[in-house]
Amino acid sequence: MIQQVLAVILIIFFLLRLSWQKKNNQISFSEFIFWLFFWIIACLAIVFIKKIDNLVSGLGFSGSGIEVLIYFSIFILFYLIFRLRLKIEKMEKNITKIVRNLAINEKEDKE
Amino acid sequence: MDQLFCIIPAYNEEDCIAGVIREVKKVINNIIVVDDGSTDNTYNISLNEGAIVLRHIINRGQGAALRTGNEYALSKKAEIIVHFDADGQFKADEIDDLIKYIRKGEADIVLGSRFLEKKSNIPFLKKYFILPIARLINFIILGIKLTDPQSGFRALNRKAAFKIKIENDGMAHCSEILSKSFYYKFKIKEVPITVIYNNYGQKFSGGLRILKDMLINKLLN
Repeated sequence: MIQQVLAVILIIFFLLRLSWQKKNNQISFSEFIFWLFFWIIACLAIVFIKKIDNLVSGLGFSGSGIEVLIYFSIFILFYLIFRLRLKIEKMEKNITKIVRNLAINEKEDKE
Repeated sequence: MDQLFCIIPAYNEEDCIAGVIREVKKVINNIIVVDDGSTDNTYNISLNEGAIVLRHIINRGQGAALRTGNEYALSKKAEIIVHFDADGQFKADEIDDLIKYIRKGEADIVLGSRFLEKKSNIPFLKKYFILPIARLINFIILGIKLTDPQSGFRALNRKAAFKIKIENDGMAHCSEILSKSFYYKFKIKEVPITVIYNNYGQKFSGGLRILKDMLINKLLN
């Protein structure tokens, strides 16, 4: 019970920080919405942890609700890292394109 | 006279580049050195030796440098393009062995191979461990069967150089060029070359990086 209260307080702190960042235009609207939903869902998961426990055991997982949530978050993290890698790779290619054009243009300007 | 260009990608090669340019000059007039963001004197030395020098402002890798050279050479109406290394491991007098097949129209792309006839002093581990693995991986991923999958000494005619747009900035471009040659059904020929190993070249870790690059590129394209 105390753990749950602490977690919710922490989430409220993050939500306050988020609204402060939004007010100062430090993050975009879509990013704001993403994190808002993220923390709200996290908050709901903590408040209704017992329900999640039941649901999870009903689905046949041996672990408790919180454990299954961790499994999922690791899965999501892996997916996000994968997407990030692809994005970086695309950026690398674009950098190469710019460097190549600079090299060829510099040469042609001299001719 | 056909328009013949030699492309030499160079990254911090101030010790070797002058000698390599001089050797190649005996065979090919148009030498393009792509200075791939060197921090030493490669750029000025190459200019002084009379090469056409293209400069990458930051290091982008050998594949990227080759493509820059290819695009520039094609814009100068190149008919045959030779890829050559800057570290002096290939012999310039063997360039003719490669381009004669293109001139005769017997091949669109000619690859120098370290494993046919001529004896190169390939380090033991590289010959019997790293390169056989590279061959096997090329065969599995790309369906290619050649004696030397990672050779940087090759000649392409205009058609092949135009079609094969190198996407891999790093060292995976060797395999990429092979796979695209097969994909576009170009006439491929392998020719024996001599390789002088001044230093080890690709290590096993480099090979793993090539594999990673190949897989990521498969996903991207």
